[in-house]
Amino acid sequence: MKALIIDDEDLARAVVREHLAAHPDVEVAAECANGFEALKAAAQHQPDLIFLDIQMPKLDGFEVLELLEAEGRRPAVVFVTAYDQHALRAFEAHAVDYLLKPFSEERFDAALAKARMLHDAQTAMPPAPAAELAASARQGRPIERLVVKDGPKVTVIPLGRLDWAQAQDDYVLLRTEGKNLMKQQTLASLESQLDSSRFIRIHRSYILNLDRLVRIEQDTKEHRDAILRDGTRLPVSRAGYQRLRELWEDA
Amino acid sequence: MHPLLASRARLGAYLLGWVPIALLLAGIARSQGWTWVEAVALALPLCLLAAFLFLSAWFLCRALPLGRTVEGLGTQGMAWGLAALLMGGLWAGLAWLSAYLLAWLPGLGALPQRVATALPVLTGLGILLYLASVALSYLLLAQDRALEAERKGAELQLLAQESELKALRAQLNPHFLFNSLNSLSALTALDPARARQMCVLLSDFLRRSLGLGERRLVALREELELARAYLAIEQIRFGARLQLDWAVDPAAESALLPTLLLQPLVENAIKHGIAALPEGGTLALAAEVVDGHVILKVDNPVDAEAPAPQGLGLGLRQVHQRLLGRFGSRARFEAGVQDGVHRVTLVFPLETES
Repeated sequence: MKALIIDDEDLARAVVREHLAAHPDVEVAAECANGFEALKAAAQHQPDLIFLDIQMPKLDGFEVLELLEAEGRRPAVVFVTAYDQHALRAFEAHAVDYLLKPFSEERFDAALAKARMLHDAQTAMPPAPAAELAASARQGRPIERLVVKDGPKVTVIPLGRLDWAQAQDDYVLLRTEGKNLMKQQTLASLESQLDSSRFIRIHRSYILNLDRLVRIEQDTKEHRDAILRDGTRLPVSRAGYQRLRELWEDA
Repeated sequence: MHPLLASRARLGAYLLGWVPIALLLAGIARSQGWTWVEAVALALPLCLLAAFLFLSAWFLCRALPLGRTVEGLGTQGMAWGLAALLMGGLWAGLAWLSAYLLAWLPGLGALPQRVATALPVLTGLGILLYLASVALSYLLLAQDRALEAERKGAELQLLAQESELKALRAQLNPHFLFNSLNSLSALTALDPARARQMCVLLSDFLRRSLGLGERRLVALREELELARAYLAIEQIRFGARLQLDWAVDPAAESALLPTLLLQPLVENAIKHGIAALPEGGTLALAAEVVDGHVILKVDNPVDAEAPAPQGLGLGLRQVHQRLLGRFGSRARFEAGVQDGVHRVTLVFPLETES
C-alpha cells in the first residue's frame, strides 16, 4: 500500500511515520506540509491511503479531500487531528476513522487496520463524499470559502467574493470578481453549505449574495428581476421573492 | 444617623443655609418695630434651635417613604401636617421661653411682651419651615437611594468582570494543548532531551497561566513571561515557520495592566498568522514607554489572499473592552492589516505598583 502523510507540522508527520515503520507493507510515498503539496503528490504517487490533518494553511483537510474527489481519486482516509472530538464522532457513521492527537500505538494500528479493510471493500461500499464529511464536522455552521478545481489550477473563493451561483446540470457556475468558474456540485448542495442569511435562492437556477443586490424590478405581473451592483439582471421567481421578503421582514 | 450630621462639611453647609432665614426673621421683627438688638438676640438662637429641631423631619420621612402612586399621600400628608403643627407649636413655645430668659439681660426687657404678640406668626413660620425641612429630607433620601443604586450597579459590574476573568482562565486553548502533547509524543522517540525540555516548557506555561488568573492586575513583565513560555512551545511545534522578534523596553515591564490581556493577542497572532501560512513568518512583539504611556504592539504576517476579517473576533473584542474597562478614555486600542501585516496596538497609561 502506498500512503501520504499530510500535516503542516513536522513533528506531527514524524509520529505517523514512526508508527508506520512497524508496518513494512505500507510505503510512505511522500510527506506533505500543505494541501497544494498533497494534491501534487497524490497525482504523482496515486496513494491508496492518506493520513490527513484537518487544520492546515491555505487548504484544510476537507478541501484537500474534496479536490482529490474532483480528480476522481478517493484513497482510504485516516484523519489525524486535534480537532473537536465531538464533531469527529459523526465520522464513525460515515465509516471513516480518525486519530485524536496525541494517540497510542494501539489506536494507530486499529485505525490502519480499519482503513485497510475499507480500502479492500471499497468497490462494495463507496465512501461518503468529502462535502458530507465536512458538513458533519462543521455541525451546521456555514462554510467560509469554496475551492474549485479549474484544470490544473485550484482556486479558493472566499464567500465575500462570490457574487452569485447558477445551476448548470451537474455543475454550478460561480461568478466571482468578473470570472466564471465551474464546479461539480448541485445548486441545492451548495445552498445547504451557505449561510442562509447572506445567500438566497432567488430562483430555481440562482443563488444570490445579498450584499450584491441593489433593487428588485417588476417587469410584468409575474416577472421580477434582481438588479445587482454591477448592473447584472438575474431572474427572481415567485418563491425567491417570497424568501427575500421574509428576510426583510425579519430584519 | 442623620446624613447632615454625618459630615462636618455637610453640617456647615446646612447651617449656612439658615443664615438668610435668620436675617429674614430679624428683618421682619425689625419691621414690626423691634430694636435691632431685640431682633438679632431672638432670631439667632431661634434659628439655631430650629435648625436642629427640624432635622427630626428626616426620621419621619424615612419612616414614610414616598410611593410611586398618589395613593397613601393622604395619610402621609396628615402625618406631615400633624408633625408640622406640633413642631411649629413647640418652636414658638421655645421662643417664648427664651424671650423670658433673655429678658434678664439689659436692654431686652421688652422681649417677652413682643414675643407674646408675635406667637401666632412664629407658630405659622415654624410650620412652614418644618414642611420645608420635610421636602429637604425627601430630597436627601432620594439622593441616598440613587447613590445606593449606583454603588450596587458598580458592584454588579465588578462581579461580572470577575466572572469573565474566571472564564478566561478556564479558556486554556485545547487545540494548543493537544497539538503540543502530540509534538511531545513525537519528540520522545526522536529527541528525548528536547522532549524533556518541552515537558518543562509546557509545565512552566500551565503553572504561570493558572497563577495569573488569581489576580485582576499584573505587571507587564509577568504577561511577557507567560507569552515567552507559550511561544517557546509554539516554536517547537512550528519549527522554522515561527520566528520571533522581541523588543521590550525594560521601563515598560513594571506597567500594570488587566490580567491575561496580552495572551489572547499572541495566540491570535499564531492562529491567524503563523499557522495559516505554509511558510510561516515573524511574530514581532514590541513594548515601549512614550510620554508616560505604554505602547504595546503585536505584529504577525497574514495570508494576502484570505479576505480581510469583518470586524474584530471575540478574543480581540474582549481585550478591547477589558482595556477600556480598566483605563477608560486614557487607553487606546487599534487593530488592522497593512502591507500584509496584522498589527494590534494597545496604548495605556504607565501605572506601576506603589
